[in-house]
Amino acid sequence: MENTKENSFVRAIKSNQGLIITILCLIALPFVIALINGQSFSSLLANEPGQAKFYQGLIIEIFILAIYALSYDLLFGITGLLSFGHAMFFGVGAYLTGILLKSFGWTLLPILGVVAVAGVVMALIFSIVLPRVKGITFALVTLGIAQVFHIVIQSREMAKFAGAEIGLQGVTPPDFLNPISQRLRFYYFGLVAVFVVYLFYKRFVDSPTGHVCIAIRENEDRATMLGYNTFYYKLVALIISAITAALAGVMHGIFSPIIRPGITGSGFTIAALLMILMGGIGTLNGALIGAATFKLLSFLLEKWFGGASQVIVGLVYILLVLFLPYGIVGTWRLRRLQIKQGWTDLIGRFTGKGRAESS
Amino acid sequence: MNTLLQSFRKNRSLWTTLVALLFLFVLAVLGLIDQDAEGGARYKNVVFTILRGFSTGSIIFGLMNVLNMAHGAIFMIGAYVGWTVIVRPDTAVDTFTPIVLLASGFLLAPIWHKSINKLKLSSRVSRLWPWLSLAFTLVVLGFFVPQYPITSWNLGSYETTPVNYAFAASQGQVVVPEPKLFQGISPLLGLAGIILGSILAGLTVTGFATSRRANLAGAAMQTESSWKPLIYFGLLVFLGLLVFSFNTPISEFLYSLDSTWLFIIAILAAVITGAGLGALIESSVIRPIYEWHMYVLMLTMGVNVIIVEGVRSIWGAPEFTMHRPSVFAGTGEGCPAESLSALIEFKCSTISVLGGRIRTYNEIFITILGFIVLVAVWMLLQRTRLGMIVRAGVQDSEMVKALGINVQKIFTIVFALGVGLAALGGVIGAPSTGLTTALGESLLINMLVALAIGGLTSYPGSAVGALMVGLLQQFVIKYGQIGINIPFMEEPFKPSPPLVPAMTVLLMVVVLLIMPNGLFGRSK
Repeated sequence: MENTKENSFVRAIKSNQGLIITILCLIALPFVIALINGQSFSSLLANEPGQAKFYQGLIIEIFILAIYALSYDLLFGITGLLSFGHAMFFGVGAYLTGILLKSFGWTLLPILGVVAVAGVVMALIFSIVLPRVKGITFALVTLGIAQVFHIVIQSREMAKFAGAEIGLQGVTPPDFLNPISQRLRFYYFGLVAVFVVYLFYKRFVDSPTGHVCIAIRENEDRATMLGYNTFYYKLVALIISAITAALAGVMHGIFSPIIRPGITGSGFTIAALLMILMGGIGTLNGALIGAATFKLLSFLLEKWFGGASQVIVGLVYILLVLFLPYGIVGTWRLRRLQIKQGWTDLIGRFTGKGRAESS
Repeated sequence: MNTLLQSFRKNRSLWTTLVALLFLFVLAVLGLIDQDAEGGARYKNVVFTILRGFSTGSIIFGLMNVLNMAHGAIFMIGAYVGWTVIVRPDTAVDTFTPIVLLASGFLLAPIWHKSINKLKLSSRVSRLWPWLSLAFTLVVLGFFVPQYPITSWNLGSYETTPVNYAFAASQGQVVVPEPKLFQGISPLLGLAGIILGSILAGLTVTGFATSRRANLAGAAMQTESSWKPLIYFGLLVFLGLLVFSFNTPISEFLYSLDSTWLFIIAILAAVITGAGLGALIESSVIRPIYEWHMYVLMLTMGVNVIIVEGVRSIWGAPEFTMHRPSVFAGTGEGCPAESLSALIEFKCSTISVLGGRIRTYNEIFITILGFIVLVAVWMLLQRTRLGMIVRAGVQDSEMVKALGINVQKIFTIVFALGVGLAALGGVIGAPSTGLTTALGESLLINMLVALAIGGLTSYPGSAVGALMVGLLQQFVIKYGQIGINIPFMEEPFKPSPPLVPAMTVLLMVVVLLIMPNGLFGRSK
């Protein structure tokens, strides 16, 4: 009895090797960076300013984007609903957090509840047209709704709360998750959040509901024919996705010093698309990898090219859609055997072993 | 009568929706009439609001082109190019030559195509040499293009920002900047380098196209005689060189022109720029994936981001205003005009009708132009050979191809035309909307709403949608000024400006709930 239990445990570890190694690496990463920069661990734990702290911030932003990308992947990659208004969910989370913290002085827990409710409401607004409208028209409708939110949040009437074009400034984050004085804690909190969301999504996709969602992506008419009411499944995916994106927005609202209105615009939805395109549409780990690649790429481009970096990001996006539509993970899955073969050939050439031996 | 009944039965939901919308429209009009206390000018608000709605609608309508998310951005490009031509003619003239020279090389593509097909290269070579050619092109262009002298503004220093310059120009204190000259290399070498680069670029593009099409039977594609492209190439190069050699006199002439003539030139420049950009986008980005609508949508979104950021890095973030051409700008004696003859005589900016003022440019000129464009495009689609091929090609492109018609080329032309119209809308609308980098975004919503209301595949549908959106917006704005009396409320409810886009989206959602394919769209 105990033997089989242990076996299944070992098997679970083996099948999730990459995930566990990634988590361990990310846990160790702040200390490694501190070691490289010659910073002592005690000063790291005390959150003293330095290179290590800066890189922690960068990775925290990757965590936030990863949750956001995961939520978009569930909607577009898994369920096949192309929405151009996804940034609205994120923006609602971020702005609601900022406004409730700053203007009303709420604590974090009720804010989380309110944001979750707001996410559901937003999803329901999107879903008004869901049963009747498909494909491109759905994309247009969501874009329209999100743009309205984008305009409202920048308007003069909301300036008292949302800060108009400049953005929401001067939010005092809660003490125990202060991004400045408690950054290391924020880092581990973000890490836990990403992997909790990831595991939950993995479970969801493997569940019967998730399978129906994939069936809807592949062929909605056939799913309807088999007797599934596809509307409910799409609605579930939409609600889960909206809540997750809004929670990512909460993290953004606490972490970033200024909440800019840009995060509610269509550009930020494009960013989500870019992330999952880079990683591979429809693959959950692709969303994580894509978010990391996207953030690091735009960080480096910003460093090298300054203001023109957005143009280059757009170019990368177009080239990806044209030449690598399956992304990193998708291409790896498609070409895994070819790539392995290529490597063995290459190594074989240097080590003197012939082609015949490896094949 | 019988056929009417039949059509009613067939399209029951369409008619019900239209009647309901008409009812709401009448209600809104009645509300406006009630607001007016004076008996004489009772219909003033109504007429003005409807006229304004039509003019807004016509601007939106210029944007119609299915599935192009970059359309708003092109609209913006049109506005910025027009602004540049009017405020800085010297910069416009300076940029003319390199752009024409760069474009000229691509005209030689058919010749390259033919000679490559004659060569019969092995597949490995034909796959390799375009990359070599690309590298060479990049080196040549990277060396010569930055050397080309363009007298322009500098976003870095305050003295020479476009805003500052435009302000000086509006005060009548234009300082014509010294034209820049080639430095370091002789002008002849610089121009020759650019021409060489563009020829190489054309060669590269042809190379990639042939290597991709190597397996297919693409050899019999070209039937044109081979001297034609050469002549076009020569003409274009000659034009570029001509403008280069008479650069200073041309810019001085443009500076001395009346603003109406300059405005016409600006319109031309904007339309040509827009059409060129459209052809470029279509042939490079959209053509490979025409069938996958989702990907086209995603790609054009990317193009949109690139264009907006590009505009931001060239012209900078601040807003500009553009002056109306002098024909529509008179304000002095005799204005507002009482009659049509007075309008023509004094070139008034406003005309008095029904005891109120109508702006000639915004409400009359734009409306008329919008209707002309609408009718022209409608005629083009319905009554010409080109329109016939387009309609057939949309329905069954394989069959049209089999009949020996180059469908790809036709689609490129149509796309360029649509995008050119967007640029036209941009430059026409610029005096009334102003120029911001967010211009494209706000127009994009209106355009999408209009398209979704009218039905994605229907041309008259999008016209109706555009008009409805325009009317609705103007009614909301008007009610925002005068307020609505809601029972049991102390103060009248005043819709605020952010409600305008919200109302249009609400209209779209309601229409789509009733008719998922839009008013006039067909179900697939």
